[in-house]
Amino acid sequence: MIRKLSFTVLFVLLLGLFAGFAVAQDAVNITIRCIASPPEEDWRCNNFAVVEEQVEADLGIELNLNLIQDNASWGDYKNEFVLASEAGEAPDIILSGHEDIGAWAPAGFIIPLDDVIPMHSEFEDIVPSLWDSHGYAGQIWGIPQDAEARPIFYSKLLLRDLGWSEDDIESLPDRVASGEFTFADMLATAEAAIEEGVVDSGNGWWHRPSNGPDFLYYYYGHGGEVLDMEGNLVVDRDALVATYELLGGAVESGVLRSDIIGLDWSEVWHPTVGQAETVLFAAGGTWNWPNWAINYVADRGGDEYLFENIGLTLIPAMGTGKAITLTHPLTYMISSGSPHPDVALALIAAITTPEHNNKHAIDSFHLGILNAQLESEAYANNRLLSSAHYMLDHTTSLPNHPGWNAWSGAYFLGIQAVETGEADAAGAADIAIAQMQNELGDGITVR
Amino acid sequence: MSEPNRKPKSSAALLQSRRNALRSYLGAYGFMAPAGVLVLIFFLIPVAIVLYLSVTNLASSNFTSDLAKMEFIGLKNYRTLFNDQFARKIFFNTIFYVLVTLSLFNVSLALIVSLLTTHIDRSAGFVFRALWILPRITSPVVYILIWKRMAAEAPFGILNQFNELLGNPTYNYVATNPWVFVVVVNGFIGVSFGMIIFTSAIESIPKDLLNASLVDGSSRMQRIRYVILPLIRWPLLFVVTYQTLSLLTSFVEIQLLTDGGPGLYRTEVWSLTAFHRALSNYFGNAQWGYGSAFAVLLVMIGVVLAVIYMRVFRFDELVAEPRVEAL
Repeated sequence: MIRKLSFTVLFVLLLGLFAGFAVAQDAVNITIRCIASPPEEDWRCNNFAVVEEQVEADLGIELNLNLIQDNASWGDYKNEFVLASEAGEAPDIILSGHEDIGAWAPAGFIIPLDDVIPMHSEFEDIVPSLWDSHGYAGQIWGIPQDAEARPIFYSKLLLRDLGWSEDDIESLPDRVASGEFTFADMLATAEAAIEEGVVDSGNGWWHRPSNGPDFLYYYYGHGGEVLDMEGNLVVDRDALVATYELLGGAVESGVLRSDIIGLDWSEVWHPTVGQAETVLFAAGGTWNWPNWAINYVADRGGDEYLFENIGLTLIPAMGTGKAITLTHPLTYMISSGSPHPDVALALIAAITTPEHNNKHAIDSFHLGILNAQLESEAYANNRLLSSAHYMLDHTTSLPNHPGWNAWSGAYFLGIQAVETGEADAAGAADIAIAQMQNELGDGITVR
Repeated sequence: MSEPNRKPKSSAALLQSRRNALRSYLGAYGFMAPAGVLVLIFFLIPVAIVLYLSVTNLASSNFTSDLAKMEFIGLKNYRTLFNDQFARKIFFNTIFYVLVTLSLFNVSLALIVSLLTTHIDRSAGFVFRALWILPRITSPVVYILIWKRMAAEAPFGILNQFNELLGNPTYNYVATNPWVFVVVVNGFIGVSFGMIIFTSAIESIPKDLLNASLVDGSSRMQRIRYVILPLIRWPLLFVVTYQTLSLLTSFVEIQLLTDGGPGLYRTEVWSLTAFHRALSNYFGNAQWGYGSAFAVLLVMIGVVLAVIYMRVFRFDELVAEPRVEAL
């Protein structure tokens, strides 16, 4: 009897196993790889799980989603996709910086989307300017996942100590946007704060402590260009020198510390800037805000503490006379090795809605990518997003070009040289240009 | 001089002699085969591949694992490398880093720790040696995190907490003294290797010799100078050679601590540049071919140094027979 029962149980189990295999074989497997700082950016991948059933119903298929999401370093993350692509094991959807289009499109790792984008009405509502950063060789290669602004955060706490009125403080973003309050004014304010003992020398203004997109807006702000009309790399010496003069001058005047590059992000930079008690102005990104609220000032009241003590504004006008910021949209790209690019795109379309993108925008303080988001109640009523969305009107972006890496590396060398006093502005420009010419050869034009 | 009385070998004896010779050769090569295969797979083949990559323009933007599809560009990467305005600085950084770390820590401090811990109570010596091994067995990320936390500026760093308590000025230690930290951090790891080798060598010195020197009235310093050091000469040379080559290729701790900075490649070493170029950068499009050119030069430097060390230190004698027992 027991023997019979055992056989029956075994038979049922095997039947179930085979049935499971049969179902699994029919299901469409989609792997999605995202980079995200937990928990505030988790919607980048998690949104796909939310729309899984909807897409299954729309397409009449069974989906088997494999979401891989972590907070890897950018270098490792990008190499992982390159190696996986070559090994034929790339995820179907990869989320990365739009500038990777410049390397991955010519390598054939991702597919152009021009012909298929019109098949999904969701994409019609994407803020038009965001598409500019998704092009390469005349085609579109990715769908924007988010946008952000890279503003100047200012400490209201310290400006009050400096004697600024509430009106002065609250009107600062408008005065910056109009060009009335310039970068030179910002540096002068920082100098005054140091002279009056409101902040220590070197704490008037901080920029990021490692290479990254932010640095390009100083060059843009002085009229520099990275690509010419034909899409070739260029470097404008005058803009380069002006940029290095600004950065080197800030160090010389004591506004900016000479060892800012190399400070530890999480151990020093974030806790210092987020607490608003030490640094007057800091160049950061909108997503820093929820990070600070969760990780650095939660015990002081989180968001409320930040609203009380920190404000954000565009980067004040430099040589061009116009306030500026830089947006670095992350982008969903579809791997050329994906056997189901149509399903992958349908999934991306399903999460490209105000409802789903708002969750990411609100939790992580990234700006919306859809016009309809601006009109949605959740977005419009969000104090933070509504205070920053206008920055998209003043934004710039990185170029999509295979040589951008060499260009930016050389540009950053000049910044390091001038801030540590190893070269003056003209010398730093010479260093950067020589490095660009050595690595890019005929691929760079010096103007 | 001829040997007229010697009988010519018969063909059978000759064959047997050749068989014996072949058997002994096969035996020797058979024993060497596992190591030979490892060297082939993990050194010679990778070197050949990296050498080939270094004459291509392989990058993320044209990446392929098919050697035939890679674009051959001759010595262009090497020209770019030699024209790089910082290549010379990075080269001399590497020499400085290897020489200072090797001489102060990997050899000298290792020797001092070995001598001290073999001249105190045995169990206490064991405990101290175990402590010195901690940097080696700690994960590099955790190890560097500890150092960073210790050296961070006020109010975050432990050292600066003391400075503040004492009313002293505070410092951003790593930024102001990057080489000190790079050398000390790596040196603390390097001490353990030499310490183990030297300790075992000192422990294996026959007690008769040490006792004889005491009977002859030598002081501790004299015993170290005239008995111990000559007897551990070979382990010393081995540690110098091995650690030189090891330091030449080490970069993980530097990457985690300073990433080659601050400023213009202040603490950048050759192997770190190869890594930065070929495998890691913020904006992607890694330059695999160019980075390989850096790696090839590093291999060449390593091989040349290894040959020099083998000649100068007469490694054939080192591997001939144990010197301590020979005495």
